[in-house]
Amino acid sequence: MKRLRRLWRRLRGLATAESRERDMRQEFESHMEMHIADNIGAGMSPEQARREAALKFGSMEAVQESVRDESRLLLLETAWMDLKYALRGLRLNPGFATAAVLSLALGIGATIAIFTVTDNLLVRSHPYPEPSKLVMIYETNNRLDVDHNTVAPANYFDWKAQSSSFSAIGGFFDYHVVFGDGRHSEEIDAQAVTGEVLPLLGARTVRGRVFTPDEDSDKAYVAVISYRLWQSWFGGDENIVGRTVQVNARPFTVVGVLSPDFYFHTRSTDIWLTLGLKASPELRAKLGRWLWTVARIKPDASLRRARSEMASIGRRIELEHPETNKNWGVNVEPLRESLVGKVRTQLLILLGAVTLLLGVACANVANLLLARYTARMRELAVRGALGAAPARLVRQLLTESIVLGLSGGMLGLALAWFAVDRIVAQAPKELTRSVEVSFDSRIVIFSFALALITSIAFGLAPAVLAMRGDLNHALHEESRSSTGTGHRLRDWLVVGEVACSVALLAGAGLLFRTMIGLQNVSPGLDAGNVLTFRVSVPKVRYPTDEKVTQFFADAVQRMAQLPGVRSASAVSYLPFNGMAAGTDVTIAGRPPAKPGEGIGAVIRTVLPNYFGTMGIPIIQGRDFSYADDLTSTPHRFIVNEAFARKNFPGEPVLGKQISVYMADQNPMGEIVGVVGDVREGALDQEPAPTVYYIHSHLAYSQMVFVVRGQTDPESLVAPTRSILHSLDPELPVSDVKTMATVVRLTYARQQFSTVLLAGFSLTALLLAAIGIYGLLAYSVVQRTREIAVRVALGAEPPCIIRMVLGNGVRLALVGTVVGLGGALLLSGVMKSMLYGISPHDPLAFTAAPAGLFAIALLASYLPARRAAKVSPMEALRNE
Amino acid sequence: MTDLNKKNDVWQGTMALMVLKTLESMGPLHGYGIARRIEQISGDRLSLNYGSIYPALVRLEQEGSIASEWGVSENNRKAKYYRLTAAGRRQLRKETEEWEEATSIVARFLAPKEGL
Repeated sequence: MKRLRRLWRRLRGLATAESRERDMRQEFESHMEMHIADNIGAGMSPEQARREAALKFGSMEAVQESVRDESRLLLLETAWMDLKYALRGLRLNPGFATAAVLSLALGIGATIAIFTVTDNLLVRSHPYPEPSKLVMIYETNNRLDVDHNTVAPANYFDWKAQSSSFSAIGGFFDYHVVFGDGRHSEEIDAQAVTGEVLPLLGARTVRGRVFTPDEDSDKAYVAVISYRLWQSWFGGDENIVGRTVQVNARPFTVVGVLSPDFYFHTRSTDIWLTLGLKASPELRAKLGRWLWTVARIKPDASLRRARSEMASIGRRIELEHPETNKNWGVNVEPLRESLVGKVRTQLLILLGAVTLLLGVACANVANLLLARYTARMRELAVRGALGAAPARLVRQLLTESIVLGLSGGMLGLALAWFAVDRIVAQAPKELTRSVEVSFDSRIVIFSFALALITSIAFGLAPAVLAMRGDLNHALHEESRSSTGTGHRLRDWLVVGEVACSVALLAGAGLLFRTMIGLQNVSPGLDAGNVLTFRVSVPKVRYPTDEKVTQFFADAVQRMAQLPGVRSASAVSYLPFNGMAAGTDVTIAGRPPAKPGEGIGAVIRTVLPNYFGTMGIPIIQGRDFSYADDLTSTPHRFIVNEAFARKNFPGEPVLGKQISVYMADQNPMGEIVGVVGDVREGALDQEPAPTVYYIHSHLAYSQMVFVVRGQTDPESLVAPTRSILHSLDPELPVSDVKTMATVVRLTYARQQFSTVLLAGFSLTALLLAAIGIYGLLAYSVVQRTREIAVRVALGAEPPCIIRMVLGNGVRLALVGTVVGLGGALLLSGVMKSMLYGISPHDPLAFTAAPAGLFAIALLASYLPARRAAKVSPMEALRNE
Repeated sequence: MTDLNKKNDVWQGTMALMVLKTLESMGPLHGYGIARRIEQISGDRLSLNYGSIYPALVRLEQEGSIASEWGVSENNRKAKYYRLTAAGRRQLRKETEEWEEATSIVARFLAPKEGL
């Protein structure tokens, strides 16, 4: 602190150099006068007195020059000298320099990479004015255990009418549209919004405007596009506003282009359309919760007030409309939380992991530096005795640490630069879907600050500690036999390294076990060789259900004929791929369920042969046939085993009549088949009861084709596409991926963390090994004489090896115990990431220390062997 | 470390020490007075170039060991008066010890050999 203050005064001195020089001149002249007066007083003639004074003082310029040197050069030039000295020192010890710089680079690189991702997702503000006032409003249901459900439009309008905490509430949903300019069309991501959404988010346009209140209708046919689409599709055309484009084959007018940094909820949204939702009494009669809701809290209202107000509104609606709202409540959540909430734990775990890694790296550097300073004790003492000020010596050590730190920091930054892209590419979609991740100058500054702090704290502090012991002491003492303060400190550093490594290894072990477990979970289908892609047909050209059904049936039947194709079909939503429709089911002959306690089921609509194509076994009954795929046939359903188990335990399922609340008219239909369960959302979730429709009775215009090939499904992309284009040349194909990829993405979350954590823990292990090796190798050199005496007195090599080895093992043991304790305490936070094992999984918690121990033994054995080879005669003669 | 720096350290250190000591024993003094006093104490064995005192004063002031303010000298000239600060007092004590330590080491080197 004192040193800092002095440095500050120095720097300030540089800044005020000019006024100081003026002062100095005055002072100089007055002193000259005094001396002349004294000389005259001593009897000189005025001329003599003046000449003598000039001699005595030297020239004004020379004095000023030397004062300047003193204040400026002293700082800069000696800094340069320190730098050269430090570089030379490091060049002379390449092993030391490499180990230290690499340790720091790995630690800092990993930290920056994870920090960048975390900073982007959790810290950095979103591109909306006053983002802290923005909230998402969800519906919750305790019985179904959901708290982030989309909202029923009727409830949305009741909230708007009854709440007073918000300056605006808006609704939206994300979907896809086919976008075209008349020549070419493509499927792009779209967001349908009510009039409030863009204004309440503070969206700014670079051309045109956002929607006007009159346009808040589904007959407005106006669109706002993203900056990205404007640039990529229209080449930044200045006449974009007013241009006509095709959205789902219907002409729309572009009214505005949003600013480049704007995104909301889904980063890839390229077009915003009007949702045109109007309050009406009929809304209440329609079931379905499908609207996302965003709101801005009034400047003078708080989140707490908004929450309590919405909670009571929710209770009131529940009482007024039990038929639709029994058990449903309201959840108000800050927008940031909504966008990144799910990944927070994961990021915090990774952040904790890199902190441990950084700790290991720092301990390693401190250890190396400490060894180096202890070895240089004598040199420093001699230089101290020869007149180098202690502050000067400290500054020199500081320079060396900073050189190390900055080199490590720079290398680490380069490492992180590469890593961030990889991490983001590897990251699960839920992590990057809603928020942009980028690398900016703040990160660079952060990394250099980190490098400096690390190197100073962990490089200099041990040096100062070591030097606090009297320097002169070092001169007198036989440095070889001294153990000193440094040694104890180094032991602790190694213990710390080992502890951090064990904790990291244990964490990585837990995730690894989870991964293995997930990979062994049967997804319920055979994902091999299945290609999937999505196609939607525009209402304009396919106005009736018959047309839609006909198109998909034709396409699927033609695809099945392709050489190399085993079978083909289509489904409304792929399993493992985010959301699916869900609704209530009524069973014939049973009383209608009480409000809020209906039979829920996931609904999919499929074409014939879907189950065969996906490798889902048909347990009972039959598959749909093309005879079922006609609007004229009666409703027929296929259910999965989970549905059968839940609703017909011990009863025959086939032939039962059910009605599924999906459309305006929902006649009873017969269950004609029972198929195997498919895990719905993710592999670690239980399969949900599911009802399959035949496409003709739930004719979605957007379907996902599934095509099973004989071999590599990628080779089917071109032929299937040409079939589609021969049926309708304007239909774009999107989201082409293999089913295997879809399944793999479901454990991307665990895989991502496992890969990173494994990398971190192996790095930490390596660093800890270097630390143990370095410490023991150094202590063997220091204790050469002692070892020689032991050998001379009859100690056998195994005995010496045991002695050195024992030293390493003792440190590893203490470190392991500490690390295990820490890991046991901390592993609870990983619970949500684990599957099939407890956070205290015994296997992970024995493998981690065992692995570390093996490495520690190896790292101790090398110096121990060297110690055993000490020749007593030679060692003692060298004294 | 180069020769230049070694000389610098030792010489500057000595000059600073003498300035601090002078201020301690004499109380606040202007630069010229300090120079004269050093000459006197050295029994005129040290021929001081007065110009060389300024860098030492600048450095000490920047380090906070001394502080200065403008005043009027005994014969009514405007002069900058320097006084020792608390930090300067500590610095003086430390440097005195170090100096004694260093000279005693050097003295042992120069003393007649007693056989090792």
